[in-house]
Amino acid sequence: MSIYQDYEQTLHEIADDLIRRIKDNNESYYAQNGTKVYEHLSCRIKSDESMREKCQRKGLQEDVHSALVELKDAIGIRIVTSFVDDIFENLEFIKSIPYVSIINEKDYIRHSKPNGYRSYHAILEVTWDREDVKGNFPGKYYVELQLRTIAMDSWAALEHQLKYKKNVENQELIVSELKRVADDMAACDVSMQTIKNLIHKKQ
Amino acid sequence: MKILLAEDEKELSRALVAVLTHEGFSVDAVYDGEEAVEKAKTGVYNCMIFDIMMPKLDGVSALKNLRAMGNVTPALFLTAKSEVDDRVVGLDAGADDYLAKPFSMKELIARINSMMRRVNKYMPKQISVGSVVLDTEEQSISSENSIGLAKKETKLMELFMLNVDKALSTKELFNNVWREEDNANEDVVWVYVSFLRDKLRAIDANIQIEGEEGGDFTLKIIS
Repeated sequence: MSIYQDYEQTLHEIADDLIRRIKDNNESYYAQNGTKVYEHLSCRIKSDESMREKCQRKGLQEDVHSALVELKDAIGIRIVTSFVDDIFENLEFIKSIPYVSIINEKDYIRHSKPNGYRSYHAILEVTWDREDVKGNFPGKYYVELQLRTIAMDSWAALEHQLKYKKNVENQELIVSELKRVADDMAACDVSMQTIKNLIHKKQ
Repeated sequence: MKILLAEDEKELSRALVAVLTHEGFSVDAVYDGEEAVEKAKTGVYNCMIFDIMMPKLDGVSALKNLRAMGNVTPALFLTAKSEVDDRVVGLDAGADDYLAKPFSMKELIARINSMMRRVNKYMPKQISVGSVVLDTEEQSISSENSIGLAKKETKLMELFMLNVDKALSTKELFNNVWREEDNANEDVVWVYVSFLRDKLRAIDANIQIEGEEGGDFTLKIIS
């Protein structure tokens, strides 16, 4: 039996509905402005195995309550945009979805992590017409949302490789160069947005 | 290239203005130490030439005051005194060079040009204003966050940070940052101010560049 028990079906329903709405918004944005508001959209339900591993790592019981209430990333959505402002455009849209409320936001774009990591993180609380683990109806479910630009996304992919590779030569140098590149990429992201605004006279 | 000249002998001042202007410098002439301080506080100069003996405030005190305010513009003293001690007092007050009267105009110009060549070496590698630190060698600014700057952005940011609260015209900014570029025109100033504004926002800086396209721009600390 999966750690999510019978609630797994509901996780899929919620993920599918959110994805549909975010995609529809992209299409209507395109119809209006001739540009997309994001480039890539991905969604995953955390696998049974990695959810159990995370419960252990966090010192939680390996059960459905931990998986759906204590930990809030059973559903994960990532939106990757071309421009920095598009991140906030998508965020505003998601905030406007009636069953969504945001319970936690972390702006690692303005306040990047010391290693240079940039991204916008939010935890969504979804009120859904199904019972939840605590027996509430309608129930409360959680979604981890990550928003970032293409530059931030490729940087994060590279940093991920470093994190999971053991015995990297010149570790310290690589870490500091990676940080420098993160700042350079952020500079390009900001400058791209500035140029876009200058083209559209939004300065 | 803009020079602030403080020389109370009218004849000499006129002659210096004529020669320096002929050499392609633009010169603001003042006639006492107090005026010199006032001008240097509001204007942007590439170089300052001060006489030592002046009414109201002598040249050494004027320069001391300016250095205490954070002004790092290269300065040269003109001095009637040629005693070693007097030259030392002038250099210790923050002057970069001195010239004893009477001097030849040729030598003065050569010394100004030599100071200009050395100017980059005098500039601090890190400049702080408000929460922001500019690292001119790494070409980055940081506050809550750090971000890379392009070469011209660094030059422009440096100019703003060395001249906090001063209104700098588009022309002045252009002349200081892009004067050696062949194909640039003054429109570039607005584009680069826009780049810097967004980068300052991106690092959550507590300073901002105020002003409108084509006009004067002022770096201010937001309280």
